[in-house]
Amino acid sequence: MSSLRTGSRCLRDIRQPGKAATVPWQSTSKASLAYRPKQPFNVTRFIATTAPRSAETTEIIPSDLESADQGQSAVVRVPYARAVPVSPSYFSRKPIFNDAFVVVQDLARKYARLPIIPKDKVTPTAWRTKEQYRLAVGEHAKGRDYATCMKLAKRLNQIHPDLMPEEVKAGLLPFKREVNYYLNQPKIQPIDQYGRSHGVGKRKSSVARAWVVEGTGEVLVNGKPLSEAFGRVHDRESAVWGMKLTERLDKYNVWAMVSGGGTTGQAEALALAIAKALCVHEPALKNPLRRAGCITRDPRKVERKKHGHVKARKMPTWVKR
Amino acid sequence: MATANCWRCLGRPSTQRLLAPSSLTTFKAPTSVAAFTTSATLLAKDDSSFSMKGHVRTGKRLVLGKKKKGRGDRSKPPGPGERKAFRKRIQLSNDNALKVSGLPELEAQKLVDPAAVGQIVSLPTDLVDQLRTVEAFKPTQNWGLFRSPHMLVRKDTVDFLGDLTKRVGNKETVRTVIEGERSVGKSMLGLQTMAAGFMNKMVVINIPEAQDLVEARTDYSPIPRTTPEQFSHPSYILKLMQAIRSANEEILSKEIVKLEHIHLPVSVSRNSSLASLANATKEPEFAWPIFNALWQELLQPGRPPIMFTLDGLSHIMRISDYRSPSFNLIHSHDLALIRLFVEALGGKTHFPNGAAIVGVTTKGNSLKVKSMDKALEQAAADQAGLPIPERDAFYSKYDERVFEALKGVKVFDVKSISKLEARSLMEYWAASGVLRMRVDEKTVSEKWTLAGNGVLGELERASLYVSRL
Repeated sequence: MSSLRTGSRCLRDIRQPGKAATVPWQSTSKASLAYRPKQPFNVTRFIATTAPRSAETTEIIPSDLESADQGQSAVVRVPYARAVPVSPSYFSRKPIFNDAFVVVQDLARKYARLPIIPKDKVTPTAWRTKEQYRLAVGEHAKGRDYATCMKLAKRLNQIHPDLMPEEVKAGLLPFKREVNYYLNQPKIQPIDQYGRSHGVGKRKSSVARAWVVEGTGEVLVNGKPLSEAFGRVHDRESAVWGMKLTERLDKYNVWAMVSGGGTTGQAEALALAIAKALCVHEPALKNPLRRAGCITRDPRKVERKKHGHVKARKMPTWVKR
Repeated sequence: MATANCWRCLGRPSTQRLLAPSSLTTFKAPTSVAAFTTSATLLAKDDSSFSMKGHVRTGKRLVLGKKKKGRGDRSKPPGPGERKAFRKRIQLSNDNALKVSGLPELEAQKLVDPAAVGQIVSLPTDLVDQLRTVEAFKPTQNWGLFRSPHMLVRKDTVDFLGDLTKRVGNKETVRTVIEGERSVGKSMLGLQTMAAGFMNKMVVINIPEAQDLVEARTDYSPIPRTTPEQFSHPSYILKLMQAIRSANEEILSKEIVKLEHIHLPVSVSRNSSLASLANATKEPEFAWPIFNALWQELLQPGRPPIMFTLDGLSHIMRISDYRSPSFNLIHSHDLALIRLFVEALGGKTHFPNGAAIVGVTTKGNSLKVKSMDKALEQAAADQAGLPIPERDAFYSKYDERVFEALKGVKVFDVKSISKLEARSLMEYWAASGVLRMRVDEKTVSEKWTLAGNGVLGELERASLYVSRL
């Protein structure tokens, strides 16, 4: 991840506004700010020094070569005596983060006077967490620094959307996730022409599909009444738990198919399926159903067996010899 | 700064001391720590295994010659059959239950009146005695939860018994098999049928558990001069005959013996009543001939109609566990009492006075008899006017005698109860104090759904489960 550039100037010189054009990554940006868009990271970060050199010093080098060819004694006019890193923070172990941080700091200073909107009016943004940023960039950004940076970034994000400069948008990009999941819209489930709604629920290794239609409280599971499908009264109760708590048991009929797993899993999968199908009829029931525990899928599954163990955790019996 | 240990004392700080001030635990060596609180002591685990006991594997080592004597329950174990008797006991009243007043008493008209559907009726004491004598009550039914026996008149009851009583009144023979899901109330409908029989002055004969007859539980003996060889259950038949006599005493004592019974081992005079004929012997070996004579008498014209019921139909539709003298298994239909029922059910016996032959199937304790299932399927299709399903061509073990026994029977399918019936039942439970919740539309429909859309036994299970004894 190193990019070097030949040159004799010290690092500070590179950032002088007058000579900005000599720095490759600055040449792409129109502003005078030390801002570096995302793309050059990938383009210019390489160890070989030839490419940037040829790009920049095309005017100088041929004359150098000529003079070198003409006489050994001629002084070689090399612009830089030694390789200079592209990034000013090359030696900081965290060049990418530091650069991005500097960009954000400069942006914040530059646009501090732009009008902002309150936090709750800002379009929700999926920021990268510290760990996600570290993973994405491959650098161990310090927690405190990242927090400071995020504070500025969020302040910048509050700028009124009509006045939001393009460079701010670009500068915040490294700290945002690729997908803004806040903007995801749930797919609206339809009620079909016969008034049925469909829901799917899972638990352990059981899958349940339920079709809910307005009716009088009849429940058929795999073509059988509830009492035949589930021997335990407890299982029957948990299957219709959502309807019971929301007092909808006598207002809907359920036709369900369940497969896989055992009775408890099937009953609880059915609870989820019925709750989802019920939400299609009455979306306002979602919160009561969530409180009843019928919306969230229980992610627990059978733990895998490990070698050296009898089961997932159980160890073989200790024997003396 | 607060120190971890007590600053008054000179003991060195240690976690063990913090957890359990040992001055409170007497069995440990006393130390100088002051006990400010007892909670740590109480919370501390007993770590006596740490210091007091011997080796860590003490409990796992084989210890011989130290058998503990005189430990455990020293009371006398229950005698043979006592446990079963306790399990199978039938308790028809419970003084702890609340008395429900204001419910009408059962009459013959109530069982056939469509207006009475959904009513809870109490059973009259005489009827309870009669039903008890013929063992119509089952140990699986929760009679013991209530003060006195009551029952629900449901739509199925009225449908079935209305048809039955009308046809028996016309001196027809009703041959029916009661079918239905598990715990939907088949045996209960059987009981109601018997109640209707008693109230309509029929002679009620009941075989409460068909499996008692085929599972080689009671004694049996060959009947001489029968082809093919038949077998009777002497003690069972004797008991049955006594039950018939005491339950139907009122009717049988009015009927006079008509036939000559010269072949009987006991002398029966022409003018004696049928009750005395039924009571003629206490000897098991004479039970079958006398029972047969009683049966023949009942088949004479001018006698009251007969009601013959049997619970657990699938048990008698197979080869029994009894063996003939040549050590072959006996077919159930070669057992004389079962043969009597099967011939009546199959329509071979002619009843001049009308009769109701009712077989009740069971789902909980039943065998899978393919022949019977197919025969009933065919009977049901015939009754509904549908094309009759064919036998499975790849099943070779169909029993022709089973098809013969179920030829032309009507199948009555017991359905689940409606919410209205469920409500009146739950109100009765609540009034009896066994159901402690408000009975309103919400709870009724909830229990109704949990009970598999109104399966009565499941309704009981879902509602009374906690209070079942």
